[in-house]
Amino acid sequence: MKSSREKILNNIRQYKSVLLQESKQPGTTFYDVPCGLKGLFITTVKSVGGEIVEVCSKSEADYYIRSNFRDVLDFENSETWIEYPPDCSVEKLNSIESAVLDGQAGIAENGAIWLDETNFPHRLIPFVVNHLIIRLNERKILADMHYAYEQIVTTRTGFGLFLSGPSKTADIEQSLVYGAHGAKRLTILLYKETDIKRSYE
Amino acid sequence: MLVHAKKAGEFLRDKERADWQDKALWLVRKKRDMAASEVPGWEQLRNMASHIKNNVLSNLDDYLIEFESAAVRNGVKVHWASDASELRECVLSIVKSNNAVRVVKSKSMLTEECRLNPFLEKYGIEVTDTDLGELIIQLRNEPPSHIVLPAIHLRKEEISELFHEKLHTEKGVNDPAYLTAAAREHLRHKFLSSQVAITGVNFAVAESGAVIVCTNEGNADMGIHAAPVQIHCMGIEKLIPKTSDLGIFLRLLARNATGQPITTYTSHCLRPKPGGEMHVVILDNGRSKHLSESNYRNSLKCIRCGACLNTCPVYRRSGGYSYRFTIPGPIGSVLAPLSDMKDYKDLPFASSLCGSCTDVCAVKIDIHHQLYRWRQEIINRKLVSSVKLLVYGTAAKVLASNRLYNMSGKMARWALRNLPRRIIFLKSNKWGLERELPVAPRESFKEWYRRNQLNQKV
Repeated sequence: MKSSREKILNNIRQYKSVLLQESKQPGTTFYDVPCGLKGLFITTVKSVGGEIVEVCSKSEADYYIRSNFRDVLDFENSETWIEYPPDCSVEKLNSIESAVLDGQAGIAENGAIWLDETNFPHRLIPFVVNHLIIRLNERKILADMHYAYEQIVTTRTGFGLFLSGPSKTADIEQSLVYGAHGAKRLTILLYKETDIKRSYE
Repeated sequence: MLVHAKKAGEFLRDKERADWQDKALWLVRKKRDMAASEVPGWEQLRNMASHIKNNVLSNLDDYLIEFESAAVRNGVKVHWASDASELRECVLSIVKSNNAVRVVKSKSMLTEECRLNPFLEKYGIEVTDTDLGELIIQLRNEPPSHIVLPAIHLRKEEISELFHEKLHTEKGVNDPAYLTAAAREHLRHKFLSSQVAITGVNFAVAESGAVIVCTNEGNADMGIHAAPVQIHCMGIEKLIPKTSDLGIFLRLLARNATGQPITTYTSHCLRPKPGGEMHVVILDNGRSKHLSESNYRNSLKCIRCGACLNTCPVYRRSGGYSYRFTIPGPIGSVLAPLSDMKDYKDLPFASSLCGSCTDVCAVKIDIHHQLYRWRQEIINRKLVSSVKLLVYGTAAKVLASNRLYNMSGKMARWALRNLPRRIIFLKSNKWGLERELPVAPRESFKEWYRRNQLNQKV
């Protein structure tokens, strides 16, 4: 394959030329949010098919999860984390009904949440579960994708993603259907202040 | 008759289907407009995207080397393929070295271009397309008819019938939710039992070696995180220099494609999973040569959002198959003659040159200008029929001479008013095959204008 590499690079060197560059590079356009970041985030998440629950604190979020959803695996819990290691069988992962993950940041303009390998022990988890629940501190809401790439280190782990709403498809006659292959349902618990960091031990 | 026109005629015979597709695609275009109008500085974003791609195409070799070294540092195996056959062999060797018999694939126009599926199947490997639309057309043994909406040419009754036969769903149940659920179950099993997963690439970041894959269904991720081996196939033009550039392209891509603010999943793949393998195959297949085509190289900026297809009055009413090239629609009509000018000489003419494609393009490719340039080149090389050349030659003479122009106008007006229909609509009048001719006025515009000007002066 080495020869193909040289061939391709040499071709490019031979054929390329400097394309007309505009004299002045335009600057980035940032999102202007008159209704406030949180309001825009909530509206957008709903528009992409997600559910939003606003709670006062992280412990209230946990209480809400415990009392409203059954069979939920919370990956903030170290025992749960250890139970689904990277070499965990896919069948076992496939049996997870719902999971709780901690979102690192929310993007107001598109309802997306950033998650990476510090939030789940196996990469399949955000996709394989039927119901995905994400806790998010409302102070972590950013205006748009420019801020997102400015603030989030997307190269911290080997895999990360922006997730916006539940899995969806419109491939049959353009009819929107949730739950194509990934989560059928997405619930975001938006909490206010941070309380004392829970101990893992 | 030209191939595109003939095939479009066949598509239009099913009037109900043609009308449905036309309206469905126009609705996608309207959603795009709504999404774009909500973003302040949308035009500026398009300019920036175009500008970044200019830089990429001007320094592609450097960015490829930068990407390769970053990816290798991340533990990714990088492969280079000069053409489709090298890509096929490369993927096959990865599949074989892992003793894999089952492969899942998410949507990738590039693997369509390389005809990867039939090749792998020849070696006894089961390849399953996992995007719902792709699965549908794979089960029907058809190519995609749209780059974002691969099964837009099919109605739910046909899909219901197909799934009844292949996936044993209940006969006559056409509910899209029911059919989607059946596909989910069928494919879930495939995801969990495949050893290798293949995806396309939306963007590759030179500075970090990251490969970005965007889907709504989550099929690419279900594949690559369940299988031990992941292969990402990308064209050399998919590079962008910096991570922060993603902010610009991701704001444009989904909005321009379907009117969504972003795709459901925007996955950043950097390193192989623990104990797994991650491969990136970089394909040229004629792209580096396109860099030398100063008239058309802008088309290499394309991010495959499909907006030019949705807006095109010709695409909407002729269907993807009439183009018979991997990428149909306006951008495909620019790219196809680059790969074979003789075979695809009709495609630049499958356009009204209305310019709507250029207006919606996320990266500001001057699509209709490129189509116009192709037309000139194809005619200069005399690749069109002798009748057309004769007509163009005559028209050129008439339009260049005041006297001939006035005279022929007079003759045409007289003929339209006085000749019987059977003579005007002779078989040789191709224009009249599908169209009525206008009622000819007594005087030309020129005559009318002169008369009115004189009146005004008095």
